[in-house]
Amino acid sequence: MSDMTRRQFLAITGSTLAGSSLALLGFSPGQALAEVRQFKLSRATETRNTCPYCSVSCGLLMYSLGDKAKNATQSIFHIEGDPDHPVNRGTLCPKGAGLIDFVHSPNRLKYPEYRAPGSDRWQRISWDEAMERVARLMKQDRDANFIAKNADGQTVNRWLTTGMLAASASSNEAGYITHKVIRSLGVLAFDNQARV
Amino acid sequence: MQRILEPGQIETFAQRDIPRLRLPDRARVFSARAERLRRQSEAGAIGHAIRDYLHLMAHLADAQQAALESIESRPLELPGDEDIAHAQAFHMPLVSVASWQRQAQWQQALASICSSLTALPNLPAQVLLVTDHVCALTAQQLEAQADNLLAVQPLQVDTATAPFIMAALQVYWVALASRTNIDAIHELDVPGVCPTCGTLPVASIVRADSRHQGLRYLHCALCATEWHMVRVKCSHCQTTQGISYQSIEDGPRSIRAECCDTCRTYRKILYQEDDVAVEPVADDLASLSLDLLLSEAGYRRASPNPLLWQQP
Repeated sequence: MSDMTRRQFLAITGSTLAGSSLALLGFSPGQALAEVRQFKLSRATETRNTCPYCSVSCGLLMYSLGDKAKNATQSIFHIEGDPDHPVNRGTLCPKGAGLIDFVHSPNRLKYPEYRAPGSDRWQRISWDEAMERVARLMKQDRDANFIAKNADGQTVNRWLTTGMLAASASSNEAGYITHKVIRSLGVLAFDNQARV
Repeated sequence: MQRILEPGQIETFAQRDIPRLRLPDRARVFSARAERLRRQSEAGAIGHAIRDYLHLMAHLADAQQAALESIESRPLELPGDEDIAHAQAFHMPLVSVASWQRQAQWQQALASICSSLTALPNLPAQVLLVTDHVCALTAQQLEAQADNLLAVQPLQVDTATAPFIMAALQVYWVALASRTNIDAIHELDVPGVCPTCGTLPVASIVRADSRHQGLRYLHCALCATEWHMVRVKCSHCQTTQGISYQSIEDGPRSIRAECCDTCRTYRKILYQEDDVAVEPVADDLASLSLDLLLSEAGYRRASPNPLLWQQP
């Protein structure tokens, strides 16, 4: 059987229905064909992800409406535990169960903000400013507090005055990169627990 | 639906395995289908536009249930230890449509179905013509049609008689599947075909009962065995990329189509959470409008509905 034949056989259209069991048994597909002209398809997606909160890393299914391909804005309308995930088998803790509100929260941080020492307000800064400031302060602190050798003269190359908090939902690969970046600076203190 | 665990439940759930298979319930499989076909033909339901066809198929499903109950007039030959070991060793379906020697019981089921239908008052004349034609076919002709249907050879299928012949084959294979020990059915290395009989699934169903909550099962078009497949994965080409769920806008949320942009096919997926009465064969047939829309959008079905065949 040619692929073309199979294609026609498995696409359901007005013309294929004319030779279908339905028509040959004396029924008409006419009303269905007419009705379809008033219908529209709505497209949704289900996407797997990992809960960002803690190191248990429960699997999630996120339901969203909209179509990336058609340049429409996608919006997540529901989040639930992934029933196939071996860690949580479809369940979530109360905090994870509230993730949809976390996604749509008006208080969500969307850009870098800075609160100057002694100030009572946050001010918005650009990503460049933020990166530069973080880098400068890290370098200052590292230059001042880096320990190359301990009291016994052994090489230790550690930097104990700065720590880093990364994300618990990282993949293995992201975890590897985090580790390489932070350890190569000599930082010992880092954690991947976003709930702390 | 969200579930929040109480203290102590985490340990219980951690030990829960995903049930791999669900075998058909002999007592209800076809009667539940008939009930659902009738429900979906009501005014306002998705299948109202093809209600007369759905009514006929509901009568057919009732006739199937009766035929299933009476199929035991002659002993049913079930797979023996040797068949089970063989299927397991070669990762083959246990009672494969391609190799299992089907017994004459299926033809008795067909005769019983046809006589139940012809006994109905107000059966349309054209339907009567077709059922008479089916009854007039010789055993050899019936076996040849059955082979064409089971191997899905569209050019050789007689579309008018196909639903009736398929219905009888369903009765026979459901009788086999429902009497088989679940442990005798093993996983295949191809996830997209029925591990019991090797037929393609008609649709997916996401179950809502506590033991299977949120899990997706593929429903065999022939023997009604259901086997687990993870969600958000194309049941035809197995990709997990580019899967979308399309449904009729403002239509029932319980019936969607899992569309794959890689192979451009779809299979419908039913959500018990949105409607507890969903039934794969009935809902797939009733939602013909969704098929028409998807075909306009450039998708094709991954496999036919056993109760609706068409000429290529």
